[in-house]
Amino acid sequence: MMMFSYLTATGITTGALYALVALGIVVVYKATEVVNLAHGDLFMIGGFFAYTLHVMWGIPYIPSLLLAVAGSFLVGIVTDRIAYRPLMSQGLVSVLLATIGFSFMLKGIARIVWGGKGDYLPFPPLVAPEPIQFGGIMILSQHLVVVAGAVLVMICFAVFFKTTRAGKWMQATADNPKAATLVGIRVSRVYMYTFGVGAAAAGAAAVLMAPLTLLYPDIGFTLFIKGFAAAALGGLGSIPGAILGGFLVGLIEQFAGGYIDTSVQDVSAFVVIMFAMVFLPNGLLGLRGVRKV
Amino acid sequence: MKHLFGSRNFLIVLFGTLAVLPIFANQYTLFVSNLVMMYIILALGLNLLIGYAGQLAFANAAMFGIGAYGCGLLQVKLGMPFFVAAPGGAVIAMAVGTLMAFPALRLSGIYLALATLAFAQATQWAMLHWEAVTFGAGGFALEPLDFSPLPVSSAIGTFYMTWAVSLGLLLFASFAMRSRIGRAFVAMRDGEIAAEALGIDLLKYKAMAFAISGFYAGAAGALFVPILDFVSPESFDLFQMILHKSMVVVGGLGSIMGSVIGATLLVFLLEVLRDFKSTQEIAFGALLLGFVLFQPKGVVTFIRRWVPGWNEPLHYTDGTKQTKQAASTDEPVATEASEERT
Repeated sequence: MMMFSYLTATGITTGALYALVALGIVVVYKATEVVNLAHGDLFMIGGFFAYTLHVMWGIPYIPSLLLAVAGSFLVGIVTDRIAYRPLMSQGLVSVLLATIGFSFMLKGIARIVWGGKGDYLPFPPLVAPEPIQFGGIMILSQHLVVVAGAVLVMICFAVFFKTTRAGKWMQATADNPKAATLVGIRVSRVYMYTFGVGAAAAGAAAVLMAPLTLLYPDIGFTLFIKGFAAAALGGLGSIPGAILGGFLVGLIEQFAGGYIDTSVQDVSAFVVIMFAMVFLPNGLLGLRGVRKV
Repeated sequence: MKHLFGSRNFLIVLFGTLAVLPIFANQYTLFVSNLVMMYIILALGLNLLIGYAGQLAFANAAMFGIGAYGCGLLQVKLGMPFFVAAPGGAVIAMAVGTLMAFPALRLSGIYLALATLAFAQATQWAMLHWEAVTFGAGGFALEPLDFSPLPVSSAIGTFYMTWAVSLGLLLFASFAMRSRIGRAFVAMRDGEIAAEALGIDLLKYKAMAFAISGFYAGAAGALFVPILDFVSPESFDLFQMILHKSMVVVGGLGSIMGSVIGATLLVFLLEVLRDFKSTQEIAFGALLLGFVLFQPKGVVTFIRRWVPGWNEPLHYTDGTKQTKQAASTDEPVATEASEERT
């Protein structure tokens, strides 16, 4: 019971972060029908921004979180400008190849700026690491803070999409780009903001995750795979699906690691992707898509 | 004169030079030449899949690893001689590649790309953690290859073996792409439904594309074993994936000669930057991005434009006449590979 509750708590915590990463992937996919393969490296860059601000320059955590999210937003816009906008008329293969090229550039830059391979940067914990008792269940206060932060970011996203003009533009563009152009929305600019918003979600996830784990330049791809597993499981193109998928992937990973073998934890995300691709191509909450000619 | 600088003469010069290289080359030059020939095989295999058949798969580095591990482990665990184990490794990679064609029938575009990427990472994981079979993260070493009935040293023998295999596979790819198979691949790339309407069996040709590509990567992996006499998981990581991708794109998608040129150029760049991991990542990432942005048909486009005898069938057109398609919700499947062919 002890182990089960601990695994559940950890699974929900990491799952909340995967849900944020998946959210970024899905927002971009819904608008552009492209998966940004540099998404994980935007996550990694966001984490290193926060490290620079919080640990190296001593800025308090909340302002450095906001600044790091703003920084990731800008890198997301750069991604759109150099790897998506010039290529969107060329088709999927070009965009995928360009984003993977860009992701390696980000990784190399991070390796130069923040240390070489094998350098794992620690991030100080946010709150005292004492566990809290909840009627026999022990929960680390750190985990509660992270889950609360992730849920807060998700609520911010929901509010952004439901109430703001920019959010509505994005919804309209994702729904039908031609109609959106007709009513006067500058679709290519909306794509740019979409990439920025997706990157901001990844950056927020990275800043929340940093105190729980270590930062290193190769972390991006690992998180991308997990975020993509969550998005694919939930239905690539469904935001509630991405959040549900995130929590599920977090829990599956923890239970696989806890009850089977610790090394299985790393591979569970790949298994989820392959399972979802082959048996659940529309995901749990995805729309039943019609393959068009 | 017209054909003096043609692609056939280029190949004759390249492989002729390589054939006489061991007479005056030192060990390092031999090693780099081995790598060049091995990467030519890898780039060819990937190009058949992406450039000709239009299947954007990311598992080439995994197939390369499966070939190398297959070849190495058949020798170490089952005591097979190299000349049995090497084809064995290539055939195992080919079998795995063929199995991957079945999800490829259902998945297209982005789903295929990410399913194969996940598969590649799962393979990497198996190499690291399935220690009972793969020896884990440390890898394993092998004895240098013994060519004992022949009066050649191990290094020279390995070099000529790589030479012969890469030349053979290059010629095979070149002939196959001119034949019915190549034309079917290109038709599939340019429009699956149109290809099916022309009577091309998609199952058969997709499976064939993945099988051939897997065999090429596996053969390169099997050749990699005697080149290094050492197999470890980190030789087949994500960086290999971007390396193969940039070779194919820099050379030219859908061009046999492009793969030869791209692999040769990029191996030299790789060697120049050998000690700088981060610079390598930036350089190859930037090359891939830069070529996709500014020269999406690769360096062979320049050569085709300026060298009169240089002609290659079934390559993409020069990009002057492309169907413009926004990635809109109206045509989600048709966004890939919509260029017309020559």
